[in-house]
Amino acid sequence: MFHTRIMRKLSIIAPLAITALLSATTISAAEPKAGGTLNTTSTGYRTLNPAVQSGAATGVPGSQIFAGLVLIDEDYKATPYLAESWTVSDDNLTYSFKLVEGAKFHDGQPITSEDVAFSLETVKANHPFGKAMFSNVEAVETPDASTAVFRLSAPIPGLLLSMEPLLLPIIPKHVYGDGQELKKHPRNMENVIGSGPFKVAENTPAERLVLVKNEDFFIEGRPYLDKLVFSIVKDSLTRVLMMEKGEIDYVGFSGIRATDAGRLEKTGRLTVTTEGYGAVGYIHYLELNLRDKPFSDLKVREALAHAIDTSFIAKILFGGRVNAGTGPLHTGSVFYSGDVPSFEADLEKAAALLDEAGYPVGANDERFSFTLDIPSWAKQAHGPMGEYIQSQLGKIGIKVELRQAPDFGTWVKRISSFDYQATMNGSFNYPDPVIGVHRHFDCDNIRNVIWSNTQGYCDPAMDALLDAAAVETDLDKRKATYAEIQRKAVEDLVFIYMPQDFTATVYSDKVGNPPSSVFGPLAPWHDVYLKD
Amino acid sequence: MVKSLSKRIGNAVILLLAVLVLNFTLIHIAPGDPVEVLAGEMGGATPELLAELRADFGLDQPFHVQLFTYLGNVLQGNLGYSFYYDKPVTELIFDRIGATLLLVITALLFALFVGTALGIASAQKRNSLLSNVVTLLSLAGFSAPVFWIGIMLILLLSVALPIFPIAGMATADEPEGNFAYILDVVWHLVLPALTLASIYLAFYSRLSRASMLEVLESDYIRTARAKGLSRFLVVYKHALRNAVLPVVTFAGLQFAQVISGAVLVETVFAWPGLGTLAFESILRRDSPTLLGILFFSAVLVLVVNIVVDIAYRIIDPRISAK
Repeated sequence: MFHTRIMRKLSIIAPLAITALLSATTISAAEPKAGGTLNTTSTGYRTLNPAVQSGAATGVPGSQIFAGLVLIDEDYKATPYLAESWTVSDDNLTYSFKLVEGAKFHDGQPITSEDVAFSLETVKANHPFGKAMFSNVEAVETPDASTAVFRLSAPIPGLLLSMEPLLLPIIPKHVYGDGQELKKHPRNMENVIGSGPFKVAENTPAERLVLVKNEDFFIEGRPYLDKLVFSIVKDSLTRVLMMEKGEIDYVGFSGIRATDAGRLEKTGRLTVTTEGYGAVGYIHYLELNLRDKPFSDLKVREALAHAIDTSFIAKILFGGRVNAGTGPLHTGSVFYSGDVPSFEADLEKAAALLDEAGYPVGANDERFSFTLDIPSWAKQAHGPMGEYIQSQLGKIGIKVELRQAPDFGTWVKRISSFDYQATMNGSFNYPDPVIGVHRHFDCDNIRNVIWSNTQGYCDPAMDALLDAAAVETDLDKRKATYAEIQRKAVEDLVFIYMPQDFTATVYSDKVGNPPSSVFGPLAPWHDVYLKD
Repeated sequence: MVKSLSKRIGNAVILLLAVLVLNFTLIHIAPGDPVEVLAGEMGGATPELLAELRADFGLDQPFHVQLFTYLGNVLQGNLGYSFYYDKPVTELIFDRIGATLLLVITALLFALFVGTALGIASAQKRNSLLSNVVTLLSLAGFSAPVFWIGIMLILLLSVALPIFPIAGMATADEPEGNFAYILDVVWHLVLPALTLASIYLAFYSRLSRASMLEVLESDYIRTARAKGLSRFLVVYKHALRNAVLPVVTFAGLQFAQVISGAVLVETVFAWPGLGTLAFESILRRDSPTLLGILFFSAVLVLVVNIVVDIAYRIIDPRISAK
């Protein structure tokens, strides 16, 4: 009797135990699983079409909606995406792409080489970096519907990097080719049609953007997620609280401060990482107006470099979570070189240099004074750095007056009309230095436009190096040229480089396969899935 | 009544025109222009593109030409195109005004009723526990910055005690059905409305308390008491009407302030309303949008004031007799 009861119980328990065991093994194998809604945030965007606008606000959702010819992996290598294969001619002047068979736009129309040619023209003419990326592309030929041939007038070593969906999204010609101006095209925001892993289901710019799975995506079995919800949250503190509470699963360009990172990690559910920003590479720097005294004098700039201890800033202001960095290139770039002159922190040396330069200590223990502009954006970084610089330079007799910009427009006006002495500033590298780095050093680019060569640096030797690097197709030779460029930029102290930015992605342990390429959150999320 | 009303409306139109001219001028005095901000957000641009955009927006015209073009458009009911969104301003405003009105009206009504009730209750027993608590709370509500109250409420009621959501107007995965959706929005509305109401709650409770105390001292109340009327009747029939008059006046005047308070509350709670749009339009120098919102709020405030005028006459018939 007793026996049979046990037997009966066992007969019930055994299958349960086996199922449990089986499911345990599947969990440990971490097999990606389809389905689920991923909650994320956005700070708001004015267009969803990355062909006409740069920046993360458009780029993150834009790369989900639009596909590109290639993807770039962790090692800056191009892998097939919309182009299943490609060949490059020996002279590096002809690139021939073969499109994936049967790929369709979200409205069911096939993607053809005509769309590729149209997209290239659009980006070249409308994207802020269109010319920097593609001015050497003379024509895109379309011998048949699935072959696009790029003909170049001079080699573009970073061409494949610029073919990520972020920088060269393939947009439908049958939608955008209606003659309307692309920058203001109504379909940039309404009824947006791309061919990426997700399509737009709801676009309420004040409240949220909902993207749903593209069932006809050209990669079989992807994407895993059913839905992405971008809630529009502008306040960074509110965002941090939402992450802490678990209302957000994944967010790139999270805008959190280094001090918030520890707090979020303490929840035990959240991972904070600065990986995945190598391709955009944000660099902070102190920009000095090189046209006027005292900053036209290299000795003065050297004195400043000796007085400002960047590793101290990295440690104290950014909680040791960022690289101090050494020059114009982000440490995540393939072209980064640390072989540059270093200016050890030494106040006495700084003072001696100032004496030499003809700025002795005068009345009130003062050598000279200047106004340092603090931009309204990225205040969490610029504010404390400005205050640190003020106190350090105070120690060697330079009086720094901090001028907080009330808003973006005011600051841009001052800098782009060269009406400033010094400002905290920073800019993106972008995957190829031609796009994001050259603009600050080129003599031709001294323009009344923000993030050009506003500081007024011009040296024919530097121009020659830049021109050479722009067309050099041999990777090692190109690396050597960029090493020289970095050395020269630091030698001339075109800028005084600050630590690299704390740009971070935050995600919960529910998220599997968070985007890990050098484009990070700006790459398509078709491999991302939600665990049980 | 009709005559005074038409006079009020006439005044209102002149006032609106002044608001438009003043705002337009102020925005143009601010340094920096929308094209440079746009270029910044794009991550840089060429001078040719900047010039093209300026010509597009009419910013290359002299100031007076821009002003008169704008006024002419507004008179024809056209508030113009947003520089930033490339959309008609009226469309932008109508997309968001619902959320703001829901927030502002809920907060104002809550503050009005609860504030008045608290004030009147505490006026009847001076130095009682209730009276002291109300005084203390209203002092706190009055002096604390509204965004701080918002963040504290989030920390308390959505992080520490996870009762309410932190931000937004609806859950990411919207519940099915209209009724469920309404419940969801109400659930999201509680914290922002409470935050926005806090300042005005404090104000109304103090105002109605003071006003009630004053009325309770007056001769006709003593007469009513002497007649032997019940305490309830004296307070709620005789005193209340007179005591709420200043509260109603202020509610009308404050409507404008509530809208400006909404700017901060909407930012903290990611509420998709006009306040956030106004704030961003200032930063972006998107003058058509900002002017449109200011114009709209001015119209709203004027309408509310006219309504208050009418309400005033209903509460106190002596006013229309004059």
